[in-house]
Formats: sequence, C-alpha cells, structure tokens
Amino acid sequence: MEAIASITSDVIETTPSASPAAPTLINGSHALMKALVAEGVDTIFGYPGGAIMPVYDALYDYQEQLNHILVRHEQGAAHAAEGYARVTGRAGVCLVTSGPGATNLVTGIADALIDSTPMVCIVGQVAKKLLGTDAFQEADVMGVTMPITKWNYQITDADEVPEILSKAFYIAQSGRPGPVLIDITKSAQLELMTKPFVYERCRSMVSYRPRRIPKQEQVEAAARLINSAKRPYIFVGHGVQIAKAESELIAFAEKTGIPVATTLLGQSTISTDHPLYVGWLGMHGNYGSNVMTDNADVIIAIGMRFDDRVTGDASKYIKQAKVVHIEIDPSEIDKIIRADAPVVGDAKEALKALLPLVDPNDHTVWRNEFRKYDAIENEAITVPVLTSTEGKIRMGEVIDMLSKKTKGEAILVTDVGQHQMMSSRYYQFRKPNSLVTSGGMGTMGFALPAAFGAQVGAPDRQVVAIIGDGCFQMTLQELGTIVQNKQPVKAIILNNNFLGMVRQWQQLFHERRYSFVELQNPDFITIARGFGMSGQTCDERENLSDALDTMLNHDGPFLLEVIVEKEENVFPMVPAGASVSQIRLK
Amino acid sequence: MTDYTICIFTENTIGLLNRITIIFTRRRINIESLTVSETERKGVSRFTIVIKHESREEVEKLVRQIRKIVEVMAVFGYLNDEIVYNEIALFKVSTPLGSKPLDVETINKEHKAWVVYWGLDYVVIEKTGNDTEIVDFFTYINQYEILEFVRSGRVAVGKTEKGLVEYLPEAEWAYYL
Ligand SMILES: Cc1ncc(C[n+]2csc(CCOP(=O)(O)OP(=O)(O)O)c2C)c(N)n1
Repeated sequence: MEAIASITSDVIETTPSASPAAPTLINGSHALMKALVAEGVDTIFGYPGGAIMPVYDALYDYQEQLNHILVRHEQGAAHAAEGYARVTGRAGVCLVTSGPGATNLVTGIADALIDSTPMVCIVGQVAKKLLGTDAFQEADVMGVTMPITKWNYQITDADEVPEILSKAFYIAQSGRPGPVLIDITKSAQLELMTKPFVYERCRSMVSYRPRRIPKQEQVEAAARLINSAKRPYIFVGHGVQIAKAESELIAFAEKTGIPVATTLLGQSTISTDHPLYVGWLGMHGNYGSNVMTDNADVIIAIGMRFDDRVTGDASKYIKQAKVVHIEIDPSEIDKIIRADAPVVGDAKEALKALLPLVDPNDHTVWRNEFRKYDAIENEAITVPVLTSTEGKIRMGEVIDMLSKKTKGEAILVTDVGQHQMMSSRYYQFRKPNSLVTSGGMGTMGFALPAAFGAQVGAPDRQVVAIIGDGCFQMTLQELGTIVQNKQPVKAIILNNNFLGMVRQWQQLFHERRYSFVELQNPDFITIARGFGMSGQTCDERENLSDALDTMLNHDGPFLLEVIVEKEENVFPMVPAGASVSQIRLK
Repeated sequence: MTDYTICIFTENTIGLLNRITIIFTRRRINIESLTVSETERKGVSRFTIVIKHESREEVEKLVRQIRKIVEVMAVFGYLNDEIVYNEIALFKVSTPLGSKPLDVETINKEHKAWVVYWGLDYVVIEKTGNDTEIVDFFTYINQYEILEFVRSGRVAVGKTEKGLVEYLPEAEWAYYL
C-alpha cells in the first residue's frame, strides 16, 4: 500500500554527539519511538504496565510527535486501532504490557486478521533472562498469537528494533494487510543499542513478495471470459477499498455495463444509488442480488473470499457460472470456489489492466431482471418497516432516518447482530470507505472502540456507531476514552432488551426456546452521564427525528438510546447451510 | 490415501516450526514424518513433511496456505514418483554368546544394510531406504531379538533438474551465500 504518511527521508540516523569519537547510543525504547516516527505513525492506542514501562518512559519525550491514547481495556485498543486503520488505510498501532495486557488484545488481533486490517501491536515481555520461567505477567504471547497474526516476532536485543519495526510495518501494510505483533523484552527496552540508530523503510523481503501487478496473460484470459459473457455479474469485496480502487471499479462496471453487488465489507465501495448497484450478498443481503447469482454465466469476484456467509452451501453455489477471481492473496484462489480465470494482484492494478481489454456493453435486459426482485423485497420488507405506525420503533426506521439526515455521508461503525444487518440494509452509502464493521469474526463489542478509532483517523467525517444493547455492554468502558479525548463520536444503541440475533435464530430454528437471550439492562444514559457524555433515550416514533437531530447537532460525543421493537427479525435470510437461492423473505 | 511429500524452504527463524504445523493442525491433517535441516544456502532451512491425503486439491490448498507464511520462500508438494527419497533406520539387535549368528551376507547383499557398531552382546545395523524396504528388513531381522528400533523422517529431493533457485531470482540468493 502506498498510502503511508510521507516522511522526509527514508533513512534517519541519530544525531552524532558533540564528540565525534562517541556516537550517541540510545536504548531499545527510544529506538522504538524513533522507528514509529520514521514510519509516519501519528497515533498509538495503548495501556501501560510493568513490562512496557521503559517504552512509556521514552514516550514521555515523544508526546509532540506521537499522540498516545489511553484506552480503558486492551481490547478497546485493538478495535480502536482497527477503526483507525480501516478509514486511513494505514496500520493502527497498539502498545500494551505483557501477560494480561497482551492476551486482552487477542480478540482484536483475530478480528483484524480475518478482515485484512493492517495493525502493528507492540507488546512488552519479561526480561530475556526470565523468559520461560513463568515470571510475573509472563505469557507465551508468541505462541498465543501465532495463528492469528500475519507475522509475529520477539525482540530480545535492542539492536534488532529498527529492522524488525520496519519489517513489521511493511508486512502489516502490504499485500493482503493484516496484524503483526512485536513482543519486546523489558531487557531489550532498557539496554543500549551497540550501534547508532539507522532506520531504513523495508521495501521487500526475500521470502515475502506479494504480487501487486497481475500477470498480463491472466488479465487477458479474464478479459476474454468477461467479453464472452451474456449475463456477467461483479462481486465486490473489501479488497477493492483496501486497494483504493473505487474509481477503477466504477469505470470498469460502467464501460462493461455489468451489475455490481458487494459483500458485507464491500459495501460503500460504490454508491448505493448507482444504477449498476444491485445490492449486497449473503445471509442477510438483498433478495435480488442473492437470487440472481444463480442466473449469471460469468462472475467477476474482486477482492473477496467467498466466505460461507456469502455462499451459503458452497457445494451448490454458482455451479452454472465461470468465475474470474481477482485477489491479491493467492491462497484464496480456488480455496472455496474454483476460478476459471484467476488474476493474482492488487485490485487497482488488475482493474487498470483489464479496463482497456474489455468491450463496452450495457446488458440492459440482464440488468433489468434484478429490478423485479427489488420490487418484491420492497413490498415484502422495506416498505412495511419504513411505514410502520404501530408498535415500537423498528430498527430499519432509525437507520433510514439517519441515512437521510446524514445524506448517506457518515462513516457507519456497526457492532454485531441484528442492528448490524439492519444498518447495512437501510443505510444508503454515498461515499467510499463508510462502513466499518466486524465481518469475518463478528466480534461483539467492536463498534464503540472502533468508532472512536475511526473518528481519530477521519476527524473531518461524521462517525456514527450503531450498537446493540448486548454489544454495548462488552466494551462500554471506552465511553471514558471518547470523553477524555473529546472525540465527537455519535453512538446509537438500538435497545431490544435481547441478544436479538440469537433470539431470532432461536425463534426460527429452535422452536422459540429463548435460552438465555433476555437482558436486564442498566440505564445506559445514566452510565454515559457518569462518564461525562451527553445522551438521551427515545421511546416514541414521533420523537425519533428530533432525537436524531439533537444527537447530530450536538457538539461533542453523544449517546442516543432508541427503544426498538423487542422481537423483530432480519429478513431476507439465507438459513445457515442452505443455498443462496433458498433465501427467505419471512 | 496418497502419500504427499511437502518440501518447504524457509528462513531459519525461531518459532517457524510452530507456524507451519498450526496449518496442518487447523485442517486436521496428520503429519506422518517431518525432517528439518539447513540447506546448501546459509540461513535457509528445508522442511520435508510427509502426509497422507485423499484429495490432491486439498493438498494444493494446504501448500498455498503454507506459502502465505511470511518467512516461507517456496513450497512444493510432490507425489512419490516425482522425488528421490529415503529414510534411515537403526536396529539394535541382541547378539549374546551362543545365540544364532547374524547372517551378515544376507544383511549386506539382499537388504543393503550395514552393521555400523559392534557392542559386547549387540550390534547396531543401519538400513537406508524407502518405508517398504525398511519394513521388509524389519521383518527379516525380527528373527533376532530387536532391542531398539528407530527410524528417521523422510528426506527427499525433486527429480526436476533445477531446485529452488529456479523460483527465486539468483540475485536474491546472494543474501544467503
Ligand atoms: C463476543 C461475541 N460473543 C457472542 C457472539 C454471538 N452473537 C452474535 S449476535 C449476538 C447478539 C447481539 O445482541 P445485541 O448486541 O443486543 O444486538 P441485536 O442482535 O439485538 O441487534 C450474539 C450473542 C458474538 N458474535 N460475539
């Protein structure tokens, strides 16, 4: 990825000391600070503790260059770093202590891996001579995080700091981005380097060489297949936004006239009102976009990995279609769905190469077929939700109104559950990079800290978090971080007093046996006030508009709790293990 | 079930064995044998891992997942007829006074095995070969009392003329020479 804040020079050296004979030697902690500055890092999400104290001590001298944000729980640091990374495209940085500090990061690291989010976690470790002795707050963080990091490394020697940090950022931010963890012993933090600090940005590694530029013959084969198609269909995944290839995608779709659907994480890549956009795919995606996968003859999958939430039963999925799969991670090719024309490379480069080779077309008849399903979906689901007059407020109404009031231009950060799916269904995205959600892991507690991180990364944009009452209680302590850092995050709790999504499954597939899904909730607004945040509850449909205005116009962070229908279900829905054409409208 | 030999060329770093085996564990694939050593290139290690699997496609996916590990330079999956391979086995056989003498001629000529150590009342025989040859020898030598038996993992080289160098630009190998 190129989008790394520019630094003045690729190589920085420590200033030579007054006496030329004795160069200034710095300790590992100061080396770490210099490395972060050299990488253009501006923000660190962290939490101190014994095994990272020397680094925090060095940080005291670097407050001008490195904005450190004290979170309330390390899981919050990880999700905030993810939110930051998702909106900026640059690695989010976490700094935590050993043992419990490190293990608290684990959920966020796993989340970042599966959603291809660049992150560099720097974790304190006990002194080298104590390694493996079950010392105080020693945990085998290398072992724990090995399966959930793109790369991890234990620094035991101060001299390693510059090289390892430059590798860490290179690996996290290039190819298919992902989390990297650096475990640094307390002794390495304290000891002096034996040579002057020199920092060179890593640009390549012998064993790691992601392919950005696709092979020309692969692009040509893909173009031939696309040009021969009668009913081609584009699937857009998160990879398109990671590659910042939104405009190339639109140029490609417009030239070829091919309809575009997105995955959950691919949403907002293309404006929801674009004439070629036909909806999102998967378990709770749109009706037409799912059903029509069975009618396409060529599927052009870009930067997506055929997750089982998209394919339903993969053995019955798109059997009739030939597949062009554009992907930077070669291990995704043929992993779930066989590709007839794989293109390994960065989505932007691939689309650029493809554009001149594809024939102009408009596929009008084929495209119009999608629209009749939109009409069915509208009539069965959308219109009844948006025109309801009875009962409690419906989640869809809230999101629809928010969408109109923010003109579809906010960054929506959602948690996991019904409210997440409703946000995707009813928000009309107008700008790229506007949905931050936990897709692959489905991590409850993601939204509040991620919204905070997103707001830090995109200070000029309106950030609104949509959170379930269950999810909120997993990381609500981060209200404190938001208030302390004066970030104008708006958070909406859609309160149904249930673990709604689980309740929905119990209703549909377990004969309404509501096993442990009802919540006795606290007074959320009092809690927000306790943290120093303004807030308000909205219980009546006629007050919703005013409540949203109050929230959006409020100068500073705001928590809006909306009491919603207790037992509402998210439809359409592809039941787990069914094929996508078995999508249910009720 | 087919035997697959997976050769992995890696940087020689701590913890890599774990990273590699996790990929097998996650997919519930049992490792039949595993051998690791440094190659002709300094700092480059070669893993030779033997697995049994029903589906070539799954093995190809496995190979791609391994290739994803940052320190891995190249991974090859081979069928038995695509490689030259061997294992080594040591047999410690009891030879007390008055017992049936060993038939050294058969051991050497028919089984291509060699006595490599004479103890007071035992010998150690080394047998190199593929697993069938080793099992055959085991069956033969079992008429004497086997005190200990140990067998290495497989080592293998591909039958194609060039090795790994083909896949990485020569210039980059300079780093390891
Ligand atoms: C950490 C974690 N634990 C459990 C789950 C399983 N889970 C998925 S959705 C959900 C319910 C979420 O409830 P709530 O936050 O109230 O949102 P709603 O579905 O009601 O909108 C649960 C428990 C999960 N995704 N993550």
